[in-house]
Formats: sequence, structure tokens, C-alpha cells
Amino acid sequence: MFAPLSRWLPIAFVALAALWLRTHDLARRPMHADEANQAVKLGELLEHGRYAFDPRDHHGPTLYFFALPVAWLRGETTLAALTETTVRLVPAVAGTLGVLLLLALAAPLGRGPALAAAALMAVAPASVYYSRYFIQETLLVTFTLALLVCGRRWWVTGRTAWVVAAGACAGLMQATKASAPLFAAAALVALLLVHRARPVTPRLARDLTLAFTAAVLVAALFYSSFGTHLSGIRDAVATYTHASGRATTGASGHEKPFWYYLSLFGWHRAGGLLWQQLAFSLLALAGAIVALASRQKFLRWAALATFLLVVALSLPPYKTPWHAVHLVPGFALLAAGALAALPSRGLALAVAGGALALQLTQTNLAVFLRPADARNPFAYVHSSPDVRKLRELAEAALARQPAGIIRVISEEYWPIPWYLRTVPAASVGYWPAPPAACDGALVIASATQAVAVRAGLRGDYHESYLGLRPGFLCVVFTPVSALP
Amino acid sequence: MKRSRLSLLLSLVALTSAVQAADQVPLKLELPKPLFAGTPRPISLPNLEKPRTGKRPDLMVPAGTVNLSKGKTVTSSDSLPVIGELAFLTDGDKSGTDGTYVELGPTPQWVQIDLGASAKVAAIAVWHFHSQARVYHDVVVQVSNDKDFKTGVTTVYNNDDDNSSKLGKGKDLAYIENFEGRLFDAKGAAGRYVRLYSNGNTSDELNHYCEVEVHGTIAK
Repeated sequence: MFAPLSRWLPIAFVALAALWLRTHDLARRPMHADEANQAVKLGELLEHGRYAFDPRDHHGPTLYFFALPVAWLRGETTLAALTETTVRLVPAVAGTLGVLLLLALAAPLGRGPALAAAALMAVAPASVYYSRYFIQETLLVTFTLALLVCGRRWWVTGRTAWVVAAGACAGLMQATKASAPLFAAAALVALLLVHRARPVTPRLARDLTLAFTAAVLVAALFYSSFGTHLSGIRDAVATYTHASGRATTGASGHEKPFWYYLSLFGWHRAGGLLWQQLAFSLLALAGAIVALASRQKFLRWAALATFLLVVALSLPPYKTPWHAVHLVPGFALLAAGALAALPSRGLALAVAGGALALQLTQTNLAVFLRPADARNPFAYVHSSPDVRKLRELAEAALARQPAGIIRVISEEYWPIPWYLRTVPAASVGYWPAPPAACDGALVIASATQAVAVRAGLRGDYHESYLGLRPGFLCVVFTPVSALP
Repeated sequence: MKRSRLSLLLSLVALTSAVQAADQVPLKLELPKPLFAGTPRPISLPNLEKPRTGKRPDLMVPAGTVNLSKGKTVTSSDSLPVIGELAFLTDGDKSGTDGTYVELGPTPQWVQIDLGASAKVAAIAVWHFHSQARVYHDVVVQVSNDKDFKTGVTTVYNNDDDNSSKLGKGKDLAYIENFEGRLFDAKGAAGRYVRLYSNGNTSDELNHYCEVEVHGTIAK
């Protein structure tokens, strides 16, 4: 009677902890420019049922299509009604599923170590942070883990259902981000190098064809917006032209040194805040040593796949911190391998407990205490909390001048459209440079455009500062006649 | 006769002014190194501070004016800052680098310096944070002999233009932080305590101070 309880209770606890960390107070952090941009695209899909894959500036469609039922369930059917919590619930739930999938993937390590791997991923700062972030990365991690779990089940059972499921997961990966093949390739190359045996299936060619077909069908369904936008399939291929330019030229402004991703798991101080994941990283390193020293194929595969991923992500100069989430499962598996190699269960529990506690303090700092702080290594070029004032400013301006227009005159303006989503489209406009007439019910200008904007204003305005993000200031012009 | 009396009166006024002027000296501030990585473009706007070219004009203060706040006790609405210590406000280090500023929590916060005795405050200089172009919201600076700031409060500076801090609507100009800090003319305001308010900034919701200097003379 107690055996099932002792088996499932810890799993339930880890799953609930992962879910709570990923869903608690989801609106706490202001919307990042990328989140805002994608949420506005979701609004278009929600209101008009329109989605067309953009191969130049956007990733795959799964994020939007998975957000759709969540919005419906929460009774949000327009962009204006959409909330931060709703859109972020999608990666939050995906991130929680990812923790459970890692638990399943880590089964060869044993029950305790597998649970430890899942727990380490559940509390990892990068995983939690980007599970609360309306971008594709967490979905891609989850689909990758699902592919690995299904793929392994097929490898050992030979059942068709598993290979079709694995193919579908690969399709979902591809429909999430064009970089998907990189993650599948790292896992596959590591498998081929470590595990020379064939899968048990006697119909390998047929199974692989089935998997490929399932992958193509699923990806095509999403990229074609479920058959309504067939050129999306062509664009899904064209996206590699744009992505390769971005990854190799280093001219995007996101170029960083080779060791950038590893440094996120290291130790550094920024403005009085300490960011460190040493316990987790050292355990992972110990796990890699155990993998090399032992004959455990699974652990060796995890070490090699993680190493390949580190190299593959680190080589291109283009780097953004959310890619670090792809390293967390591998690190967690290796750390669990190190815990399994400890001489006693009590010691393993103590070490795991200590590492989890240290990771939790960092997650608390990154996710709850300083979520949008410029010193937070995961808060990358993040919007300032000031942007939350925009909605109130806009609504007050239009209440005073219902026929007026809100002008946003700035070379960069995201996430402003998200915060002005309740303003009727006809009442707000965006200009990269000052138009001939700048007057409006409210004029928001970047600091660099402010002088020219003022020259274009005929009325008398009160002016105040508003931060779009650290170091990027806007000047808000409010007609003096409209002031209380 | 009347003309000679008027001449005498004008001469007396001129003499008094000259004596008073002779007692006034430029306030000397020791400035830290600039920390901006790049130079923000100047902004020229009537309701905001206009950009200045060249040296900051001297603020004339009475001869004998000294920094009264150095090493003095600091209290705050956030008594347990996560980063730094309240003592950093008066430790003389205004460099602005990591480990030299105190970070107070979000929402409106104040810091208060006890000068130890009532003083005639000539000037107050504040460095909130100067390694990035940012503007602190609702900055209010007050002097009083009442440590609770309920009576006898002199407001030296107030840029809370919408009275969100409930200290009265301010008409002073918002400004971008830089290494020179902000120098407020306190015009001889009398008080033992100096209190400074702020309500987050354009980069985050937090409130920072590298240093505050209160220049004046102890009242006799």
C-alpha cells in the first residue's frame, strides 16, 4: 500500500514545485520586447484567426497555436483582453512537462538519481526564468526531451506508436524553432558514438520513414497555419538563409565570447548581486568525469550530447541567454550521475539537498526579486518597469481627448504596442522619425528624437521621462491643457 | 538734501551687498570619475533640464560652509537594504562602482541624515547612481528640525509633478543622473535632519544612493 505512495509522492512533489515556480505571479515581470511582439502576433491570431509564418524575424508557430486554447479557456478572445499571465502559461506548462520528461529520460540512472535530475531542472534558474517567458525556447526544450523519451522507448520496444510519436515530437521541434535540428543532431551523434547496438525493431527503414513522415506532416501543419497559408511551408525552409546570416556574421549586436553560456553557470558579481550556480555546475562536471571513468552508456551519452551542445551553441558569435536552457537537462542528468556515484545514499541526499537549496536561492533572486534588473544575467536587454505606466497614461489621454491620437515617435518602440493594446488602432500611431505634425493627445518620443519632436509641436506640453529599458529613455509629452 | 540722502542710502546698500558678497565663496565639490560607457545625447526641453555645456556654474555659499554630513547617521524607510549599507551615503565614496552604493527597495523610499545639531544648510549634493543614463522619479529633498518631518519642513527640491508621493506637487525639473551628482541650493534652510525621497527610476523600480553631502554651518 505504501510502496506506490513512496514512489509517486516525491514525483508529485517535484512536479508541483516545478509548476508553482513556473506559474506563481506570472505577471510580475514587465513584458520583454520579444514577448510583447509575439503576444501582439498572438492577438492577431486570436481576433482574426490569421497567422502567417515570418521567416525573417520570427521563430516557428507552435507558441502561438498552443497559446490559443489557453486564451480561449481563460475567456480572452481579443488582443485587448489578453494578459501576461495567459501568454506565459504556455511555456510555464511546457516547462513543467519538461521536468517530468527528464525524469522519464533519466530512468536508466535509477529512481533516486532520476528524481534528482528532475528536481535540479525544476529549480534551475534559467529553466524557471524562461518557462515564464513568452518565447519559444522552453517549448523547444520540452519537445526535444519528448523526442528523446519516445525515441528511446521505440529503440528498446520497437513499437510503431513510439516511433510515430518521436517523429511527431521532431515535427513539433521544427515547428517551434529553425535551430531544432541542432539539438536532435547533438543527441543522435552522441548516441551513434556511444551506443553501437541497433534498435530492436526488425523494420528499421519502415520505422524511420514513418517517423520522418510524421515529423514533416506535423511541421507542415503548423507552418502552413493548418492548411490556410501554404507558402508558410516554403518560408520554413527560407528561414535558414536569414538565420545563418545572423548566426555567423556577428553583426546583430548579440555577439558574445565563446564561454558566454558556460559563464552563466559559473560565478560572478554584478552591482552587488551575486549570481552563481557552482554547486550545480560542479556536480555536472563530476558527473562528466564519472561518465568518462565508468561504462554507463546512458551517462556517457548524456555527457557527450551535452558537450556537443555546448560547443555547437558556443561557436557562433550570436548568443542570447535563453539558449542556456538547452544545457540544463544535460547538466541535470550529469549531476544526477554524480549523485548516483556517491558512496552512500545519505551523502547523496545531503549533497542534492544543498545543491537544490543553492539553486533555489538563485532562482528566487532571478525570477521573483530582480526579474527585470539589468544585473540579472537572464534579463537580457529587458524592458523597464516604467513601461507599465504607459497604459494608464494612454487611457487618461484619450479620456481627455477622445478624438485625439497617441503618437509614439521612436527608433525602437517595443514593448509599447503591447502596453497600448487596449487603445483603438485608429488612436495610436508609430513613427521611426518625427512626422511633419507631432501634436497629439499624448506623444511618446525617444530621448534622441525629443528635440526634433518638440520642434514639431505647436501646443504647450508638459514633459516627463519614462524608461523603455535601462539606458533607453523616452520623453512623454502631455498637453498642458489636459493636465488636472 | 533728498538726493544726498538717497545717495547715502544707495551707497549703504551697495556696501552691505559688497560685504555679503565677500562672505560668499564657491562651493567646492570633489567629483568622482564619470562612469557612463557612452555619452547620452543631450535633451533640450523646456520642462526638463536643459543640457549644459562646460563647467557647472559655481553655487555660492557662505564662507565657513563645510560638509556636515560626512560620517553622520543615516536612517531610511528601508532599514535593511539588500545591497550596500545606509552608511555608504555619508562615507565620502561617490565613485558609483559596485560596492559603493546602497540599493533601497521598490516603491517610494526615503533616506534621512541626522546632522547631529541644527544647521543652516547651504547646499545638498546627491549622487543616486551614475554608471548609466537614468532618471529618478519623484525626487524630493527636505530639511527640518523635526525628525519625523511633520513640522517646520523646508522643501529644497521637488520634481514630483503629479504629487504621487503625497508631499505636494513639485515644479522642479527632472534630470538625468551623471557623475557630477545633483547640487541643490538649500538657501540656508534651517534643520538638523535632511530627508531625500525617490520613487524608482527609469531603469528599474529601485532607489539608489552613492553619496549625499549636506553643506552648511552649525547654527549657533
